[in-house]
Amino acid sequence: MNKVLGAAALLLGATALTSCDRIKHAMRGGSASEAAIKDSAYPEKVLWGDTHLHTANSVDAFGFGNRLPPEEALRFARGEEVKSSTGVAAKLARPLDFLVVTDHSEGLGSTKALYDAPRMMISDKTLLRWYDLMHEGTKGSLQATAEILDARAHNTMPPGLNDPAKAATRTHKIWNQSLATVDDYNEPGKFTAFFGFEYTLMQGGNNLHRNVIFRDGIDKVETVDPLDPTTELWPDKLWDYMDSYEKSTGGKVLAIPHNGNLSNGLMWMMTDPKGGPITAEYARRRAAHEPVAEITQIKGDSEAHPFLSPNDEFAGFGTAGWDQNNLLNTQPTKPGDLAGSYVREALKRGMLLEQRMGVNPYKFGVIGSTDSHTSLATGDDNNYFGKHAGVEPSNHRATDTFVPGMSVERVGRMNWQSLASGYAAVWATSNTRHAIFDAMMRKEVYGTTGPRMTVRFFGGWDFTADDLKGDWVKAGYTRGVPMGGDLKPAGKAAPSFIVSALKDPVDGNLDRVQVVKGWVDKAGQAHEKVFDVVWSEMDGKRKLAGGKVPAVGDTVDTATATFQNSIGAPELSTVWTDPEFDPATRAFYYVRVLMIPTPTWIDYDMVKYKLTLDPQIPLKQQERGYTSAIWYTPG
Amino acid sequence: MDLKTLGRRLIKEPLVHFLLAGIAVFWVLSGRPPDLGERRIVVDQVVVGALAQRYYDSFHRMPSPDEIDGLIRDYVADQVYYREALRLGLDQGDEVVVRRMRRKLESMAVADAESAEPGDAELQALIDKDPAHYSTDPQTTLDQVYLGADTPQNRALADAGLAQLRQGQTVSGVPAPLPTHLDKASASDISGQFGDEFTLAIRALPLGQWQGPVASGLGLHLVRVTARDAPTRPTLAAVRQRVTNDWRAAAIQKAQGQAYADMLKGYDVVIAPVK
Repeated sequence: MNKVLGAAALLLGATALTSCDRIKHAMRGGSASEAAIKDSAYPEKVLWGDTHLHTANSVDAFGFGNRLPPEEALRFARGEEVKSSTGVAAKLARPLDFLVVTDHSEGLGSTKALYDAPRMMISDKTLLRWYDLMHEGTKGSLQATAEILDARAHNTMPPGLNDPAKAATRTHKIWNQSLATVDDYNEPGKFTAFFGFEYTLMQGGNNLHRNVIFRDGIDKVETVDPLDPTTELWPDKLWDYMDSYEKSTGGKVLAIPHNGNLSNGLMWMMTDPKGGPITAEYARRRAAHEPVAEITQIKGDSEAHPFLSPNDEFAGFGTAGWDQNNLLNTQPTKPGDLAGSYVREALKRGMLLEQRMGVNPYKFGVIGSTDSHTSLATGDDNNYFGKHAGVEPSNHRATDTFVPGMSVERVGRMNWQSLASGYAAVWATSNTRHAIFDAMMRKEVYGTTGPRMTVRFFGGWDFTADDLKGDWVKAGYTRGVPMGGDLKPAGKAAPSFIVSALKDPVDGNLDRVQVVKGWVDKAGQAHEKVFDVVWSEMDGKRKLAGGKVPAVGDTVDTATATFQNSIGAPELSTVWTDPEFDPATRAFYYVRVLMIPTPTWIDYDMVKYKLTLDPQIPLKQQERGYTSAIWYTPG
Repeated sequence: MDLKTLGRRLIKEPLVHFLLAGIAVFWVLSGRPPDLGERRIVVDQVVVGALAQRYYDSFHRMPSPDEIDGLIRDYVADQVYYREALRLGLDQGDEVVVRRMRRKLESMAVADAESAEPGDAELQALIDKDPAHYSTDPQTTLDQVYLGADTPQNRALADAGLAQLRQGQTVSGVPAPLPTHLDKASASDISGQFGDEFTLAIRALPLGQWQGPVASGLGLHLVRVTARDAPTRPTLAAVRQRVTNDWRAAAIQKAQGQAYADMLKGYDVVIAPVK
C-alpha cells in the first residue's frame, strides 16, 4: 500500500512538472466593445463598485486561506452566488456596477506556487516550514502568512520567494491568466471589470500602498506586467512605470493610495522624501498620477482623527486600533505622525504647499473600497465576510485578533476593530471602463462606509434655494461645478453650494449633511470647520440649541441587531452659502453625510451566534459618506 | 555539447519527465519486495542535470564540481530518507502528505475543464435550460415624483398631487438625487435605486396613468408607467460570453465534484456509531 501511494506521488509530481507551463484560456474571445454604449451628456446615475479587491492570487490572501480565483470574485460582484473559501454560500443582494481586481503585484501567486510546489523541490528551511504549516490547515496557514508578512517587514524574505527572475516569470503568467478572466467578465453598459493591481509599497511596516487601475482594453494592458515594489521606498518608480505605459500604448492609468492611517505620517508629507521642500515638479507629477485616494476601508477610516480635529465631534470613526501603530505593527505611531496620515489634513497641507510653491500635490478626490482578501466585495455590516478568509463568519471572529492565532501584541489590533467598509461611488456617463475612469480623473466620485447613499454636490456663485424647485442637476452642471471641480474667482460675495443626499433604499435614514471647509490664511496657517447644513427635523424637534444640532437619537436594538427608520430623514437637500468666505484665501469644501445609528457587523454576529461580548466592543455606529472636495483658488 | 547544456536541455524535455515518471513507478512497483530497484539509487546525467538546473535557478550560475558533489550527496540522502520513510509508512497519517495528495488530484480534475472550449450546441442547451436567466430583464419606462418620507402628512399630500398630475399639471415633489424619468430601466436597476418593494409595486400599475402613492425604500412616490418591454429571447450571439463564463464555472465545479464522487464509489465509508 505504501508503495502504491509512493508511486502515485512520484507520478503526480512528474505530471505537475510537465503541465505547469500550459497556458490556460489562451484562445478566449475578447470582451465586448464599449463603442456600442452611448455616454449621457452628464452623469445621471451613480455607479457602485469596489476598486480594491484581492483573490487567491494575492500572496497574503492565499495564505490566509482564500481559495477563490479572480473568476469567483467577478461572479460574486456581478451578483452570482459563489461558495466562499470556508464553504459558505454567498451572494450580493445588490450586484455592483464595477470591480477592480487588485492582487498584490509583489509575489503575485507566489504563496499558491509554494503551496503547489513539489515538497522535494523546496530546499530553503523557512520555505519548507511555511509549506508544511500551510498544508496543516487553517491555523497553520494563518501562522505561515503572519510569518511571511513579518519577513517582508524585516526584509528577511527567503530568496526562493522573492527571486526577481523567478517572480517575474510567475507574475507574467498569472497576470495574463487574470487579464483573460477579467476581460471575459467585462460587459460594457452592465458590469465593468477593470484591469489593475496593487503596488504594495512599504517602508518597514509603513503603508504606502497604491492601487493601479488601467482605463484600457486587454490589447494595451497585456503589453505590460504589474510592477514589483519590493526594493522601492517611494512611489517615483511607479509613476515612471505609468508614464512609460501611457507613452508606449497611448493608454491611460491612474493610482489610488490607500490607508494613509497606517503610514505613520508618510502618505501625505510636507517635505519630499529626503526632507527637502516639495518642488512644483514633484507636486504636479503626484497630482497627475494620483487623482483619487481611498478614504475608508476594512482597515479603518482615514478621513479625520480626533487629535487633528478636536472640534469635530464626529471625527474618529473607525480610527480606534488603527492609530497606534503602522500596518505591520513594527513602529508605534507618534502624535506628530497623524497629520500626514489623514485625508482632511492632507487636503489642507496640499493648499499650504500650493501657497508656498504654486502647485497642490494633494488635490485628490475620494472613494471607499473594501480591500477584502476573501474575493468577496462585501461592504455592508449585515453581509460582512471579513478582511480575509481566516475571519470569515464564525462564532469567534468577533473576539479573535486581526490574524487569529497570533497575539494582539504581535498583530496590533483585534478583529472587531475592522470596519465593514466601504464602497466607491462614481458619477460616470456610462457603465464602461472609459467613463468610470474619466470620472475618477475629474474626481467626480465619493466614498461611503458601505451604505449606497446618493450624494450630489455642486458649487457655484449664484445658486439659490429656488434652484431646488427646478431641474437643479442641470443647473448644477451648467452654472456650477460638481464634486472634484474648481471654483474660479467670479468677483461675487460668496460661493453657494447645492447639496442633496438620499438614503440607501435598504438602509438607515440620514441624520445630517455637513460641509467640511478647510482654508489657509495669509499667515500660512491651515484651518478647518465643520458646518451642519441640513438635518432631519431641523425646524421641529431638532432646532439648533446653543449653536449645536441636537443628536438624532438612536433606535438600535442590539439584542436583535435591528433599527427603526422612525428618526432621521430619507433625503436632505439644501443650498448652502459659505457665511465666512474670504475671496483672498484658498479653500476646499467637501460634504460628509451621516446616517442614523445602525448595528455594526459585530452586533449581527452577536445575535446570529448568541455571543456575550466585552462592553468595549462597539455594537452600533453612524455610517457615513464623504464626497470629493470642490476647491476655491483666489485669482 | 557539455554536461551543463545537456542537463539544461534535458530538464526541459517533457519526454524526460515522462520517462522519469515511468522509471519512478517502475522503481516502486516492480518486483516488490524486496527488490533491487527500490534499493538502487541511480545518479545519472538526467539526475545531475536536474540538480544543476535547480541550483542555477536559485543562484543564477552553474555549480562548481565540488558543489555538484554536494548536490549529489544531498540527493542520495534525500532518496534514502524518502524511501526509508515510505517503507516505514511514515507518509501514512501525515497531514501534510495527505493534503498535498488531495490537492494534486483536485487540480488534475479541474485542469481539463479550465482549458476546455464548449461547442455552440452545449452553450445553446445551457440557454434553453434557463432562458429567463439570459434574456434581457423586463424593461420599464416611467415617470415618478418623489414626495419624501412615508408619513401621514405626505400621504395626504399625495392625494392632492395625484389629482394635479391627472389634470395635466406639474408637481415638483421633494428635491433629491433621484431621476424623475427612467427610460427602459431593468428590474435590478430600479431595485438598486428604489428598493425591491417599489419594483414589485409598479409591476401591477396600469400603463399611462399617474398612480400612487407607491411606497419605496425611500418614502412615497407618484408614478406613471408609460411602457413595459417584455424580455427578449436570448440569442447565443448576444450572450455568448456570459453563457461561456457560466458554462466554465459549472464545468469546473462539476469536474471537482464528479472526480470525488467517482473515487468515493470505490470506498466503503463506515462511520462508527457513538457508544
